[in-house]
Amino acid sequence: MNKIFLSLLLLLSCNILQAQIVSDNNQSNAATVSSKDGQNKFAIFGNAEMTFFADKNNVQFGEVNFKPIFLWRISDKLFVEAEPEFETGEGSLDIGLEYANMCFIVNRYLILHAGRFLPKFGAYRGRMGEGFINRFPTDPVGFGDGGIGAMNEVGIGAQGGFGTGDVKFNYDLYLSNGPILLTDPENAGQFEYEGYVGNNKGKAVGGRVGFLPLTNSSLEIGYSFQSKMKTGDAGSPYENVGLHMQAIDLNYFGHITPMQSDVRLIGEWKYQKVDKATYFDASGTPFTFDNSPSTYYVAGTIRPVHVHNLFIHNLELAARYSRFKRPLKAPWGGDNAHQFAVALDYWLKWNSLVKLTYQTQKDEPDAFYAQVVFGF
Amino acid sequence: MKKYIIASSALLLAFSTSMVVISSCAVSQKVQNKTGTQLWGENCGRCHNAPGPGEFSAANWDIIGRHMRVRTNITETEEKKIIDYLKTTGN
Repeated sequence: MNKIFLSLLLLLSCNILQAQIVSDNNQSNAATVSSKDGQNKFAIFGNAEMTFFADKNNVQFGEVNFKPIFLWRISDKLFVEAEPEFETGEGSLDIGLEYANMCFIVNRYLILHAGRFLPKFGAYRGRMGEGFINRFPTDPVGFGDGGIGAMNEVGIGAQGGFGTGDVKFNYDLYLSNGPILLTDPENAGQFEYEGYVGNNKGKAVGGRVGFLPLTNSSLEIGYSFQSKMKTGDAGSPYENVGLHMQAIDLNYFGHITPMQSDVRLIGEWKYQKVDKATYFDASGTPFTFDNSPSTYYVAGTIRPVHVHNLFIHNLELAARYSRFKRPLKAPWGGDNAHQFAVALDYWLKWNSLVKLTYQTQKDEPDAFYAQVVFGF
Repeated sequence: MKKYIIASSALLLAFSTSMVVISSCAVSQKVQNKTGTQLWGENCGRCHNAPGPGEFSAANWDIIGRHMRVRTNITETEEKKIIDYLKTTGN
């Protein structure tokens, strides 16, 4: 009975989608026949980045990244985006797959997608952390490797955007392999977020709702969540350890006429709560701790973009504060981390710039970074 | 098994209802009257410097418009108006 019901449910969903496809294809055929460009369009864009780093112990040309983005607009309905990443940060060439995402445009309000996609939890990692969008060569503390949340997700999702009255909303909902709980003595209670493959039958459910309350779309406020009821390996005592995460992000872009400048204010707060579990240290002694880390950052930038002097017009000043609250009793915990960074950037083109940054972080030597980013 | 059926049915119902509600929403006349130039400045500039009309070919703008819709959830109308502006002004 249950199987019949589920089959009917699936059939109904497929029929709705199929009806939409037939209807839209009938409309789009007329339009595409006369198109001289052809329907299947392909392009490569991306970034190349190089970072110089200096503190009291080191002076070095460090990380080099090359990130081509492959885009295929196969038809009005089908779209594929993929980004491999080549990086040298760890002292050797690492090649990774940032994302490979297949999108199906169902209608003006709904896009379905499947594959490996950029995270929809919060806005920094999926959007604001890009080399030519982030005004700093570094990530805020708690937002890079070892921070809260995934760099990528593997799964399926639905998304879209729509307006009503003077305001706009957008949404993302997804089902993914989700985070995998680590239980070895050094990393107990941390997560492998990337989830190339799942470790049990559980899946993460997550989403983000964005709200743009101003008519000129200059302010976006987002709320995100992600929940996975089973994060431990199947059959292990940790299988049913659950993870629940929430985030709030904000992005404001405006103009200050007396200063002939554009300003930008961005920020994000993320919180994670892990179910209580008993772990074992290297000597086999059991221990447990309250595993609820949180992190946030706020950043502001100002660029005198309306000044006629070309040199001044291309300068941008940025400042950022971030904080990462870690569980004190966790083997990987310790004190909370604070970081402050100030940057002076020079724009060579709309997506290419040189960043000069001075950064201080608790328990780390002050550091100077210079980074060149070319968008192509 | 029963709880999955109930959850799936509730999700499908909630999603279908949301789609009906969304499709019945109407934007204000002020928003409807916005030009591609206006929408380009407002939406592209929110995350990054907005590229000028002469930056890419018409075919590439079509691809970029779709990429940005998938990446940032701009509306279909915004995608169309912005890309029309960039294609017609720069090519």
